[in-house]
Amino acid sequence: MQSFIKMLKKVERTFGSMKFAVTIISIFTIFLIYGTFMESYHGADFANRLVYKSWWFMGIQLLMFISIVVATYMRLPMKKRLYGFYTIHLGLITLFIGSFVTYMNGVDGSLELYPNTPSRKIGIDKDFLKITYKTDKEYSQKYALPYVSSPTSLEDNFRNVVKLKEFYPSAKLETNWAPTNFKKDEIDHGSTYTIFNDNVSQDFTMSLNPVSDFKSSEKLGLLNLSYMPKTLYSCFIKETTSGFLIWNTITQECFTPEEKNYPIIKTSKGNQFVAFKDNNEILKFFPDFSPLPVNDDLTKKTDSQFRVFSRKLFEKKPNLFLFGNKIAFYKKRAKTWVGKEFKTENQLIKLPWMGFKLRLTENFDRMIPYQEPIYTRPIQDNGNIVQGGIKAVKVNIRDKDYWVRTDAPLALNNGQSEIRLELVKDDIQLPYQVTLRKFKMDVNPGTNDPASYESFVDLLDGRNNTPATDHHVFMNNPLKYDDFTFYQASYFQVGPEAYGSIFSVNFDPGRPIKYAGSLLLVLGSIWHYFIRRRKTKLKPSKVQA
Amino acid sequence: MRLALLTFLLSLSVFAGICDNYKDLGELATLNNGRVKPYMVASTEFIKSLSGKTSIDGKSASEAFCLISLGDGAQLSDKIMVNVSHVELKKLVGLSEKENEISMSKAKTFKEITRAEIMSLKENNSYKKSLNKFWYKIDQFEKASLGEFWTIPSVQGKEVSWTAITKISTELDINLLKDYDQKFKANIDNEIALELIYSKSQIFTWSMLIAIIGIFLTVLLKNATAGLITAWSLVIIEAVGMAMRVMISGRAPITNMYETVLFSGFGALFIGLIIYQFKKDKIFILGGLGYNILCLFMMKFADGMLSEAISPLVPVLRDNFWLSTHVTTIILSYAALALSWMLANIVLIRGRFGSLTSKDLKYYEDLIYAAIKVGIVLLAAGIILGGIWADYSWGRFWGWDPKETWSLIVLLIYVAVLHGKSTSWINTKGFIIFSAAGFMSVMMAWFGVNYILATGLHSYGFSEGGAIFLMTFFATQIIIILLTATGLKTKKNA
Repeated sequence: MQSFIKMLKKVERTFGSMKFAVTIISIFTIFLIYGTFMESYHGADFANRLVYKSWWFMGIQLLMFISIVVATYMRLPMKKRLYGFYTIHLGLITLFIGSFVTYMNGVDGSLELYPNTPSRKIGIDKDFLKITYKTDKEYSQKYALPYVSSPTSLEDNFRNVVKLKEFYPSAKLETNWAPTNFKKDEIDHGSTYTIFNDNVSQDFTMSLNPVSDFKSSEKLGLLNLSYMPKTLYSCFIKETTSGFLIWNTITQECFTPEEKNYPIIKTSKGNQFVAFKDNNEILKFFPDFSPLPVNDDLTKKTDSQFRVFSRKLFEKKPNLFLFGNKIAFYKKRAKTWVGKEFKTENQLIKLPWMGFKLRLTENFDRMIPYQEPIYTRPIQDNGNIVQGGIKAVKVNIRDKDYWVRTDAPLALNNGQSEIRLELVKDDIQLPYQVTLRKFKMDVNPGTNDPASYESFVDLLDGRNNTPATDHHVFMNNPLKYDDFTFYQASYFQVGPEAYGSIFSVNFDPGRPIKYAGSLLLVLGSIWHYFIRRRKTKLKPSKVQA
Repeated sequence: MRLALLTFLLSLSVFAGICDNYKDLGELATLNNGRVKPYMVASTEFIKSLSGKTSIDGKSASEAFCLISLGDGAQLSDKIMVNVSHVELKKLVGLSEKENEISMSKAKTFKEITRAEIMSLKENNSYKKSLNKFWYKIDQFEKASLGEFWTIPSVQGKEVSWTAITKISTELDINLLKDYDQKFKANIDNEIALELIYSKSQIFTWSMLIAIIGIFLTVLLKNATAGLITAWSLVIIEAVGMAMRVMISGRAPITNMYETVLFSGFGALFIGLIIYQFKKDKIFILGGLGYNILCLFMMKFADGMLSEAISPLVPVLRDNFWLSTHVTTIILSYAALALSWMLANIVLIRGRFGSLTSKDLKYYEDLIYAAIKVGIVLLAAGIILGGIWADYSWGRFWGWDPKETWSLIVLLIYVAVLHGKSTSWINTKGFIIFSAAGFMSVMMAWFGVNYILATGLHSYGFSEGGAIFLMTFFATQIIIILLTATGLKTKKNA
């Protein structure tokens, strides 16, 4: 017992000492400085994950708290000389308690409001993996993801179907190629092109495979890029007066109606159509409207193996057709379709629009391009995350690894069961609804710089039988209702001259405690530094010049 | 065709006539950069934004802006020199390493290629920023050449609309412009007259002169009265200058770097004079005036970093109550800490090159401590006021934003020094050194967050003005400490 008290005294002397206070304040300060640099390079979220909201930083704050409490306790019973000191340290203790209450019980979210659409869902910045599993019954479960800054392995397991393996809190995408065993040869190829002129440069990876993360058509300003089956190339550059190209999707043959002497007929309304015989069946096409044949009642016939394209549709606007290492486009001035082939590496093909040049950087047969997340610290530029803005979870389903990403949910279907995985944010449902009636943005006169954002909303609470109430929310003028406070935070455009509004929504039970602590702290420091009597007055030894 | 040419030439001569009256023009009201201001101010701000100067080839900003706005700026554009400091930008526009500027007429020919270069750079590095700045200046010049920046008020009842000078359909002459202007000034509330006085008075240049006189009087005369009177008159003059800015802008005078520097200089002098009333040591007048003059120098000569212009505020800052309480408290606390920093440096240098006994040191420690006490109480109050404002307008008391985190870092550094002072770790000499060094954290919170941290990882922002200034400051302070710290040890108590 004696030794225990001795030990307590020793602990008290250590934690309550001035030297311990200086040490712990210095350590805390050094990590704060580190945190501000991390914030500046990697953005606020990363800095929070790495420093400010990490367990060890909480630990340092706990040590500071202990130091303050013990130092105050050691100086009891109260001495008149130290009243200012007690008030300051009591203020700090109160502030710590208030912050802890906020940390444990507070809510900090955002409410997205589309014009005239009631909303009651508050989004909370907390990541979850949501799994939906459908067999004879539907099961759904959410897994909270850890608040970390670097890759972290996960241990969870969903009904022995999905094993959660790893979580990347920030990642960038890397393009990789995998062999495929898809049955359709003609669409089993993929390519990456660089298109550039003096002003822009952009990379496109394209694939026809529906399983791929990449699409078969892209847009760059007015220019449309379409990735096509290789077998169609020969057709696109053929001479044809009608401009029609016929493609047999099974034999991969491609020909023009002129080659086969199929007649081109004009209807009374001037629409061209082509008809030919296939296995005793007459197929009729209106290629200016659809590549599919039509039935007698003019409905589309989807089971045919033939497609007829009208090339003329693509002559008016800039259209670039890509067939792996070959390309085709319409030259307006020469009024002809031109085909080009990449024969050597680093070869550039000049395009007839805005000085654009095209380069083929990758081209594979029987390969499929896919994107894989690679962990990276996010990079911030002017408040925007320019790299590493996606999160990803690696899962194992039936002995195969998959990635679920914030920008790409995963859906698998094996005929008997259906499984869907997505990364979602947490949310809270309000017991009342808020509707944006009008969003107003004023600008500084003669400029486009915003001067104020204002939202006019109504709030309808179904729990009491009162009609909806109108509220005007703008910067420095929040709406307080039923524990929550709604602040004008941001806005987004939904159409020409139409805006949606974003409120940040907040519930802070620690607020009064923090305010009380703040008041004590400020009053205490005034008391301590200015009201306390000086004991000695010093004079200089010499009169200064 | 010939007729058109003739009218064009005629109109040019009419324009030239208007521009000859540039002294009259200066008083006209114009809407420019989101605010109604005197033509004189608009033209000076514009010419300064292009070339960093207030006149071109002997022509005043008013005349030059008039000529440019009326499409007669072609000859002038040979004389408007645009600063080019980035090495790669120099290469792009064909300058040698030694040349630092290019004429606007030449710069204009590089507008397209600058744009192309900006588009091709993926990372927002210092080169891209220089390109953006360069392109923006050319673009501003071209817009000004269309008359867009010189707007004329036309009043209908209590409504006013602003038209670009070149869009006025009637024939221009100075009396017509004056007519429009009279109507505006008579019917619409404005502060044009006041702003003209403010702008013409050059009040802060005069303040600099008074501060220099004050320093001489304080140092040379044994009696402090003359220095004290000069210092108090300087406080009053600066207060008048700030009051005018408040009336012109309609908000507290602490919304940009220029104003915070001004206010901190004012605050340090004021706090110095107040403490003087209690401690009766001239060093407080000297420290206050010394810091005040440093601030006035920065405002006058570091105009690339601190912009004098009164510009509209971003929406979230538009709350006069919180703006004037929170920011004022913080800047006053920086002012008090600046005073302690000045005192500490004066003591360090005196100790090294003059002689101080350890009793003297103890005495000065007490004086510095007095200033730091004011500083940290104000800083703690200011941080808390900021927290309450943030809580009130964003719903969070604390968000680890770099500006607020750095103000907390400053507070903690000074708190650690004060706690350390009570232990054997920091003695008198150490305290004085820490007081001089501690101000580096203030500079980091005040300027560094904007000029170093805000630039982010990919700018390596050190090539920019603010960062160079800060680095120079840190280096100078560290050298002063290294040179003087040893000198303090040698003198023993006499």
